[in-house]
Amino acid sequence: MTPVIPDTATIKVSSQPSSNAPPAIQADTLSRVVPLGERQLTILDNVSLTVAEGETLAIVGASGSGKTTLLGLLAGLDRPNHGSVAWHGETVSSLSEDALAKRRQGAIGFVFQSFQLLPALTALENVMLPLELAGANDAQTRAQDWLNRVGLGERVDHLPKQLSGGEQQRVAIARAFVASPSIVFADEPTGNLDTDTGAEVVELMFTLNREQGTTLVLVTHDLELASRCHRMVRLARGKVI
Amino acid sequence: MNLILRFVRRELRSTEARILVLALALAVASVGAVAMFADRVKVAFANQANVLLGADAMISGDRPLPEAFTQQALAMGLKVTHSTRFGSMVSAPAKDGGAAKDSALSDVKAVSSPYPLRGEIEVHGANGERVPLKANVNAGEVFVDERLATRLGIKAGDTIEVGKLTPRVAQVFAEEPEIAGNFMSASPKVLMANADVAASELLGPGSRATYRLQVAGDRAQEFADTIKAKLGPGQRLETVRELRPEVRSTLEKSEQFLGLAASFAVFLAVVAIVLALRRYLKRELDTATLFRTLGAGQRQTLMHFVGQFFVLALIACALGVAIAFAAQAGLAFAVRGLFASTLPPAGWMPLVKAFATGLVLLLGFAIPPLVALSSTPPVRALRRDMPTASGGGALAVALGGAAVLSVVMMQSQDLKTGAIFVGGIVALVGAATLLAVALLWLIRRFVRSGKLAMLGGARSWAYGLANLDRRRLSTALQIACLGLGVMTLITVGFVRTDLFSAWQKSIPADAPNRFLINIQSEQVDALRKLLPTTQGTKPAAFYPMVRGRLIAVNDKTVSAKDYSSEQAKRLIDREFNLSASSTLPPGNKILSGEYFSATEQGVMSLEDGIAKTLNLNVGDRMTFDVAGDKVEVKVTSLRKVDWDSFKVNFFALVPEATLAPLPKSYITAVHLPAGDNKTLPTVVAAAPNVLVIDVSEIMTRVRSIVDQVASALEFVFAFTLAAGLLTLYTAVIATQDERRYDTALIRTLGGTRSQIRSALIAEFSALGGAAGLLGVLGALALTWVLATRVLKIEFSASPTVWIVGFAAATGLTLLAGWLGTRSVLTTPPIQVLREGA
Repeated sequence: MTPVIPDTATIKVSSQPSSNAPPAIQADTLSRVVPLGERQLTILDNVSLTVAEGETLAIVGASGSGKTTLLGLLAGLDRPNHGSVAWHGETVSSLSEDALAKRRQGAIGFVFQSFQLLPALTALENVMLPLELAGANDAQTRAQDWLNRVGLGERVDHLPKQLSGGEQQRVAIARAFVASPSIVFADEPTGNLDTDTGAEVVELMFTLNREQGTTLVLVTHDLELASRCHRMVRLARGKVI
Repeated sequence: MNLILRFVRRELRSTEARILVLALALAVASVGAVAMFADRVKVAFANQANVLLGADAMISGDRPLPEAFTQQALAMGLKVTHSTRFGSMVSAPAKDGGAAKDSALSDVKAVSSPYPLRGEIEVHGANGERVPLKANVNAGEVFVDERLATRLGIKAGDTIEVGKLTPRVAQVFAEEPEIAGNFMSASPKVLMANADVAASELLGPGSRATYRLQVAGDRAQEFADTIKAKLGPGQRLETVRELRPEVRSTLEKSEQFLGLAASFAVFLAVVAIVLALRRYLKRELDTATLFRTLGAGQRQTLMHFVGQFFVLALIACALGVAIAFAAQAGLAFAVRGLFASTLPPAGWMPLVKAFATGLVLLLGFAIPPLVALSSTPPVRALRRDMPTASGGGALAVALGGAAVLSVVMMQSQDLKTGAIFVGGIVALVGAATLLAVALLWLIRRFVRSGKLAMLGGARSWAYGLANLDRRRLSTALQIACLGLGVMTLITVGFVRTDLFSAWQKSIPADAPNRFLINIQSEQVDALRKLLPTTQGTKPAAFYPMVRGRLIAVNDKTVSAKDYSSEQAKRLIDREFNLSASSTLPPGNKILSGEYFSATEQGVMSLEDGIAKTLNLNVGDRMTFDVAGDKVEVKVTSLRKVDWDSFKVNFFALVPEATLAPLPKSYITAVHLPAGDNKTLPTVVAAAPNVLVIDVSEIMTRVRSIVDQVASALEFVFAFTLAAGLLTLYTAVIATQDERRYDTALIRTLGGTRSQIRSALIAEFSALGGAAGLLGVLGALALTWVLATRVLKIEFSASPTVWIVGFAAATGLTLLAGWLGTRSVLTTPPIQVLREGA
């Protein structure tokens, strides 16, 4: 069933999905507390939200509001002190570390603010990495294909330090999509880029997301970027407002 | 596996991986090259020492030796010769047709051709010089030594009576190479052909004779090792080490010096590897995080990294072994002129050991941090500042320690030495870190006191010094590692120069080179006047000597069969030389008990080694048979004897009064300079019964070994130096990334190049100075321990080594630090900042 996606003009602030498609991500009463000296610091407090398949969601908020912590919990990179996270109906927050890693393999893609490319690997090798870890045989062909799609077909043998910031983020986007994930998480994807480059990267990410029918969850403090999503969740002091 | 190999190929593009591989390769190379070269040199030394034996190996037996031994030697491609040694009366035919014959008890050696296998028989030339004799002893002929010729008044061409034979004297020789045997044997020597033994009818059933098989060739040691297990009762393997304590002592010290150099190479390697590993693992943290984020489980991540490290280690070890082989071949080529013969071929064992050393070291140190690395939380991809698991904590220390222990044990094959070495390293690292923390505290106080400002207001210097304090832990570790590297280099330098010359000096130039034995009491005064004084003033010392057979220990009769060791059997079979000294002779040291006083009776001081061989201790009673009289003594002290001194030394000493009633002769030792051709003929004319033993050949051998060790050490030192410099470099660049980042930041904030330059110079000078100070202090302590506890030679601290060491440490650290970071002054700051801290 093709999900019904509302027009960007009708963007709404809500923790409920903007379509009736089945949920890709369900977070239920998530809390994250960290010890700070003798006392406990609550970073996330009782957050619940649902993201429908194919939906794009922006998590916005000021610095220290808990955006990145929420992204980490939704992506299964971190564990909540309370509450649960489910992907496509399967609760993943209670899985063992290795089982969770296995679920992420090929199913979840990431785009980071600091790109997180391995400096000793060429652009092609960086993109091949998720496929190699999953044991795919056609890693090189698929990675080459994705680098062509992000416009870096001629730069496959370049090391990250030989690429500009925007080019590095495009490599990271190719890496996020290469394994055909169902969900892509992006943490401040334009945070390290100038406005023009940032806009190009965002355009690329949304185009690919649309083409692939991926669910996209991104964290940003840039409301213009957030406005390109179907929906946004606003956080303040660890709570959805 | 494919992914691991692909990753290794990719990883090798990074500087960190290359430095790690280089550090490990150099470690393996230095361990391998030093061990391999030392092995070759040791074998060469042993071969040279074997000249004193007349062969590379010798098997003796109380009965004829089995033919199988000879066959085995021939099968191994060795040169073989047989000899039979026995005592016999030799007579000159009665002169002028009279009935009276001159006879002498002689040490007869029946030899087969060729003889000897090593060294040469020497005769005196026309001008009194010694020339080698190129002739074999043929049937119907004998060679006699000059003593016998003088004693019997015979010359070449005469005939003598040996048993039923009357062979012709073909040669009168000065010396034959086999001088390693018991030189206290007073009898003159006769060499006859083995083929004549039967006809001489000298050896009947029950005759006392020693049957020998001497071999020479490349595989002599292998032959000796194989035969050792097959020796039957009454058969023994003779080595120079067992026969001559001076040579044994010299060989052992040579091996210790070379072994020390190899151990230092291991130590430097460990420091370099740990430092390079630390930097590499820091980088790998990002890879591990990404692996985990992209869905690799902990186990998959761990297996990947362990596999990757294993392959990296294999590459580094293979590279190291190749360098080691080339380097030791280069060393051998460079020193080819220094050795009397070509160096024996290199064995493969040191290379195998070096390869294993590399694997054990890298994996030993890497596995605990890798386990920690594989558990990196994936959320670190979002939060770089997240605390990560440490390098493995106690497990890392334990496994690293075990790795070093096993490596040192591989080197020394001795658990105790290994444990001391590892314990020493742990203590050194601990002490170095503490000292580094203390130095940092002093620097902090100095900076805060404002005294620096008074010295010219150098604010950038204060910034540079404060930088060290800011990275307190890593700086302390860096100073400790640099300090340990400097310490090792200074120590090796010191061993090479001061310790070594102390050892060389322990064989004084005027050490006695002639021993005179069999001197009768009434000849002592006359000879004292004829002999040169020692040390310019003192007349030569004469020591009484009584020969006695050990017949009982603690009232229990003993015979050779009561002992299992061949050496003990030999001691029981032969006669002991007992001497007397009312005071402890110079160069002797009491290990247990107390040296007797002049008034005591029935007491004895024994040499430690012989006491161990015979399983004797203080309090045991020994009974000797001296010419039919029983002499009973109680062991009251055990002594260590300085055999290197070449002075007259005795295994057994008793008070003078004990020897007074016994039949005795005297022994003395003198130094006769080369070219002194007068003294000995005068002595022999005055006392024809006196036997003169020339040990100058042994001394020449020992001196030449010492000189060759000196040259070998020079080359080994060069290798250790290379390993040391790499260690220093890895220590300096350990914090290079942070420093580059900070510097770029300062430039962004308006810091000028000259300010940054001053700050960097201040930082590296302080780092180098602190490491230099630590290195010098550590080296002082270490060399003192080495001199007094290990090599047992006099400790002398030459200030030059320390000053040069300190200055070089500071200068090199400054240079390496500067070279590593100066590019930051020319690279645009944004580029450095973008690359990240």
